[in-house]
Amino acid sequence: MIIAPTENILQILVVLVLATAAIIITKRDIRSLIKTYALQSLLLAVMALVLFVVTGSLTLLCLAAIILVSKVWIIPLFMGQVYKKLNIKRDTQFHFLSPITALFVSIFIILFVYLSFSTLLSELSRFNPNLFFLGATVGVSILFMGMIVIFSRKQTLTNIVGYLTMENGVVLFSLSLTELPLLIEFLIILDLIMLTLIATILAFGIDSTIEEFHAQLNPFAYSKDGKSQKTLEDER
Amino acid sequence: MLQALFPYSVALFFVGSILPLLADKPNESKLLRQAALACTAVASLLILALSIETIFSSQIYNLLIYQITPQFQFSFQIDKLAAYFLGLVTVVSIAVSIYSFQYIEHYSDERRKNLTVSLMGCFILSMILVIASFSMFSFLFFWELMALFSFLLVMVDHEKKETRKAGMFYFVMTHLSTLFLLFAFLFIYVQTGTLNILAVRADPLITSIAFVFLFLGFGIKAGIIPFHKWLPYAHSTSRSNISALMSGVMIKVAIYGLVRYILLLPLQTWWGMLILSMGTVTAVLGVIYALKEHDIKRLLAYHSIENIGIILIGVGLYIIFTLSGLQAVAFLALAGALFHTLNHAIFKSLLFMASGSLVNATGTRNIEEMGGLIKRMPKTALLFLIGAVSISALPPFNGFVSELMIFQAFMQSFALANPFLELLLIIALAIFALVSALAAACFVKAFGITFLALPRSHEAKEAKEPPKLMLLGPAVLALMCALLGVFSTQIFSLFGYTLPLPNMLFIGVVLAGFYAFAFLAMREVANRKERIAETWGCGILSQNAKMAYTASGFSEPIVTILKGIFRTQKKCEHTFHDPKNAVFKEGKAEIHLLNFFEERLYLPVAEFVQRVSSKIDKIQRGDVDLHVACAFVTIVISLLIIWWFG
Amino acid sequence: MNIFLLLVYGVVNLVFVVLVSPLFISLIKKVKARAQRRQGPPILQTYRNLVKLLKKETVYSENSSWIMRATPLVNLAAILTASLFVPLLVVPEPTDLIGNIILFLYLLALAKFFMALAGLDAGSVFGGMGSSREMAILALFEPVIIVVFAALAFAYKTVNIPDIFRGALASNVLVNPVMILIAASIFIVIIVESARIPVDNPETHLELTMVHEAMILEQSGKNLAMLELSSAMKQTLLMGVLINTLIPWGLATDFSAPAILFSLALFLVKAVVLAVAIGLFESSCAKYRLFRLPGLFAFALFLSIITLIIEVFA
Repeated sequence: MIIAPTENILQILVVLVLATAAIIITKRDIRSLIKTYALQSLLLAVMALVLFVVTGSLTLLCLAAIILVSKVWIIPLFMGQVYKKLNIKRDTQFHFLSPITALFVSIFIILFVYLSFSTLLSELSRFNPNLFFLGATVGVSILFMGMIVIFSRKQTLTNIVGYLTMENGVVLFSLSLTELPLLIEFLIILDLIMLTLIATILAFGIDSTIEEFHAQLNPFAYSKDGKSQKTLEDER
Repeated sequence: MLQALFPYSVALFFVGSILPLLADKPNESKLLRQAALACTAVASLLILALSIETIFSSQIYNLLIYQITPQFQFSFQIDKLAAYFLGLVTVVSIAVSIYSFQYIEHYSDERRKNLTVSLMGCFILSMILVIASFSMFSFLFFWELMALFSFLLVMVDHEKKETRKAGMFYFVMTHLSTLFLLFAFLFIYVQTGTLNILAVRADPLITSIAFVFLFLGFGIKAGIIPFHKWLPYAHSTSRSNISALMSGVMIKVAIYGLVRYILLLPLQTWWGMLILSMGTVTAVLGVIYALKEHDIKRLLAYHSIENIGIILIGVGLYIIFTLSGLQAVAFLALAGALFHTLNHAIFKSLLFMASGSLVNATGTRNIEEMGGLIKRMPKTALLFLIGAVSISALPPFNGFVSELMIFQAFMQSFALANPFLELLLIIALAIFALVSALAAACFVKAFGITFLALPRSHEAKEAKEPPKLMLLGPAVLALMCALLGVFSTQIFSLFGYTLPLPNMLFIGVVLAGFYAFAFLAMREVANRKERIAETWGCGILSQNAKMAYTASGFSEPIVTILKGIFRTQKKCEHTFHDPKNAVFKEGKAEIHLLNFFEERLYLPVAEFVQRVSSKIDKIQRGDVDLHVACAFVTIVISLLIIWWFG
Repeated sequence: MNIFLLLVYGVVNLVFVVLVSPLFISLIKKVKARAQRRQGPPILQTYRNLVKLLKKETVYSENSSWIMRATPLVNLAAILTASLFVPLLVVPEPTDLIGNIILFLYLLALAKFFMALAGLDAGSVFGGMGSSREMAILALFEPVIIVVFAALAFAYKTVNIPDIFRGALASNVLVNPVMILIAASIFIVIIVESARIPVDNPETHLELTMVHEAMILEQSGKNLAMLELSSAMKQTLLMGVLINTLIPWGLATDFSAPAILFSLALFLVKAVVLAVAIGLFESSCAKYRLFRLPGLFAFALFLSIITLIIEVFA
């Protein structure tokens, strides 16, 4: 069984993952967003490793290896390449929720997720209920926080980071609750989709928001100026 | 023993109210006014003594004056809670009476002065009788009298348009509150069969409805958001001694009513959550609106709203904790709320009286036209500073002790079962801390811009210290602020309550000791030379008042950060001569302050009522015969109904 | 409760705080200078600065009033009183006289209130600007501070700071996730309260970048010495709170000389590490624009509310 210090280490890691998700919601600098995402994935890999040490299940070792290779190394590398082609280095436009409101909304989301889980899932956890409760709750909360990032930001690269955060949330949730082998297949497929998406974007060349992406596809749909202007208002 | 003096003090109040109305000649009238104010002060002193004795001896005093029927009687009962609030009312009224001795002389004509003094006596008397009432009938009767007298006092300067608007607004709101109270009392009467104020055991639905009506009724009078709009208007346009009475005491009478009736009804948790949430919203919106104000009396009025919110937070906590079984913490919360009521009455009246002296001396209510008054009115400045430090809840004054009690009640509440309740408490705690800090920021602005730096207008340069009695009244209250704060633990144990609070006397002594130690150490160790020079201004030639920070500038960072709440709309329109938008032709800039509650809540409701009543108006065509015929038909039908069902 | 022991504790704590605070200020300056590849001032420079200030004459503005003269004394008195509340070397026996969390925080607020008033007193623009920004930051950060200390109070079921330290000594805190979160939040509190980058720059006098420095711009001579000492002491006290809740081993519980000396040595080591960490943190980021600060505070509030939620629900 899990001994107390290990449980505490896992709790610390889960809480750190939550903190990185909060940082992703509020950060404006794209380079640090990518780094934070890499850090988040690293934390997940370490979690999987610790669980492997405790339970000895080889699938966990594979999972840790896959996460390390794909999410901590390759995908941030790719995104770094895309970032170099960008003209805009910061994403300062917030669509529906300002970062402060987003943080408070996420607190409520975490609470609601906890409450619904405490009624639904108390029978399903395999190990010590407290720890994996925390993992499951935080996993689903990170899913929602990733969604918040997607709808509240306009830059495409930030949206990608948000989507990847959602995926991390799913990984965390599954680590806590479900059967593993299926998870690995699922992860590989998701990573392939992500890489395809990034490759497509590399081909198109983005350094603008989604509206301008549409504008580039339909150049005659916009009025007299022809090229739409880039606005760089700093959020006040 | 002293309790037998109650009827005599009431009689003395009567005398004090009638005296000024008997005046004929001007020199005679001044004497009569002073005699009347002295009567009011002495009568208040008697009731203060009476109430302190009641709290000590725990003897309940009953008095039945007049009985129309067994249901409708004018009866009074003074128990500990009533005695506490009576003490609160009378302390403030003593100080205001002393202050009014010379403040009244600044009014314009003799008749108005006499009327004001006489109405003040009636007003204070009606408040005392409301608190002392034992039957709901007399409570409501004196409540209405209190509303009437305060309305008349607000309308003293009725030539000014803003006074008329403030008065009418206040009148409508206070009658709304009476309406809700009437409904609530009817519900309670239907359940208990008696109009006396006794504990109610009833069906939860009925008590919930009664509670909602009670909360609405007392809330409108106390100034809970969203019913608060009348408060800034009424308290800022009326004279300062009246504002001191209304803001310091009248809204506390509403709190008394709320606490009294809630303690009678069987409590439910959602009541506590409602009061806690409304209290939190009231407190935070009150202080945020206060940040933008530059009229010193409106600023103080919004702070009253904020403090009512804090008191409600304490009451809400009490209800939640009692129902969760945490008795000791619940008691701490309620004690904190009640102590804060007393403290707020004291320092708010102190601040209003000090600002009355300021307004008199400089002729303006706008703090951006004052400045440098600390050198010209040093004693008033000291009094205002004590009030400001107390209201910002800084140790070792009394405001700190009551907020400490509420904070401790929050922090000791870790055994609640319901997770939502716990989350509500955490959010309320965070917002309460924000309120307290914003209040301190606002009073740095109020004190700093008004008193410090250079005078910003000619009147401020010429301002003079007010006469002695106008200083003595507030000084009494300032002394009480200090004493209540420093000796708080001793006072509580004197009255028999042991609360887990730090000993403020020790802290006060330590602070004073360190101050003296630092002073003496510096005199020994450091260079004693001092030099007066010009303020460093980065090389400018002369320093004038325009260089100093303005009030709007001071509050600008906070206002900008919280701009979502203020919703200041800035509109800019430009027109240009050329299509490339390079040569500017003309433009228009607009800053529109959204009075949120006024424009979105009050005005739509008022317009709706107007439309409905104008439709009903069409029925009345001014024909007297038709009206008599309608009345006749109604009476016949009522007789038929009585015969049918009787 | 032994009055004599309490007195000994008070004297020891006070003297230690007064003597050691300037050391940490210089240490952080040295770390920042080294990170910028400069030599930096010597470690004992702050002591020399304070002595130099005491020897200079005090210049008062002609617009100022008794507030300017009283504020440094009030400030120092408040911080000295507050330093009785945070045991750094030895924890006294449980007593109700000192140690209440809220009283501690509000004594710090009393000091700031008077400093803000003194900023407005001389009628200069810099002072008004400093006071205005300082009060805005204080107002917005107060919820974070209260929630962080409430989380501490919840964790140890007491509102008394010495009792919190006793509780921390008795339990194995380092691997508790709640304590790590609280420690991160208290670190942010230290940064904000001691006016460090990214909230405020303590080494600048440009009007665009100063908040705390602007308020004390008009002060000179012994007044300035008192204000600088108070700020240094406030920083040391908050550092003490962080150290003694996160890594309290070595804190003495009895009043014997070897225990106190051992605790002193250990505290100095821990505090030096923390000071170096603060210095490195300051060197690694730039000062935030004033209107970006609410975002930082919201993040700190998020962390503290999550802490409270985890404590309450788990």
